Amino acid sequence: MKAIEEVVTLQVPATAEYVDLVRVTLYGIAAKMGFSYEAIEDMKVAVSEACNNAILHAYEQEVPAVLEQQNVEIKFIKQLDSLSIIVKDNGHSSRAVSEAPQTSPLHGKTIGEIHSGGLGLYLMQALMDHVEVLTSAGTQVTLTKRLVRSEELA
Amino acid sequence: MKQQDKFHLRTETTEGRCTVYVSGEFDLEVAGQMRAAMAPLIELTDRELALNLQDLKYIDSTGIGILVSVLKARHANNAAFTVEAIPPSIRKLFDMTGITPFLTQQA
Repeated sequence: MKAIEEVVTLQVPATAEYVDLVRVTLYGIAAKMGFSYEAIEDMKVAVSEACNNAILHAYEQEVPAVLEQQNVEIKFIKQLDSLSIIVKDNGHSSRAVSEAPQTSPLHGKTIGEIHSGGLGLYLMQALMDHVEVLTSAGTQVTLTKRLVRSEELA
Repeated sequence: MKQQDKFHLRTETTEGRCTVYVSGEFDLEVAGQMRAAMAPLIELTDRELALNLQDLKYIDSTGIGILVSVLKARHANNAAFTVEAIPPSIRKLFDMTGITPFLTQQA
């Protein structure tokens, strides 16, 4: 019997050059589950944003006395009707992340007013069905997308 | 990683116009390279500056953030910056963030 929940775990160094590897892995898992091309594209952007935040956070930290490699752990949790992706950094300090739904950062503004802050979290919320951010020792972002099979779209 | 996904940047300069063609994946990994390439072009205020995205496969918030900073710098210098040939998947993200109207209008 197939387990209700199957988990694939990937751990990569917290550097930008590994984010495309996370995207490729996500593509493989989501395609196997039957997600549409568009849904996979949405998830690729959201997961990359979560990884970007983890990587930027790793660089912000003070260099520890013993230089240890910073990692980002990505867990893909396959459920019957959804895919959840948990992106976790092993940061030693906590950082404040606003979980409140954001309005689009650039809509209805003049060129003098616009700025790029908050775009990543906004995109995650706009592209996924559910986003949860936990901050304690390090930050953990859980992104969930419901599986809509192609026959249900017809 | 597929070869077509690799980020590539090419600049074409004619009298009065400078066009930057970017292809592949424009993300955090190539942010430094992109900023360095755009910096001197932003200063050429006697020329129109355009970014052609025809072969762009992917952009993230870092990429969009760079477009915002180029927009602002050009606007401050009263110089034009446009983004052209935007693929539908990229356009969707531009529309979501609200950057589209800024990219298609003239300074």
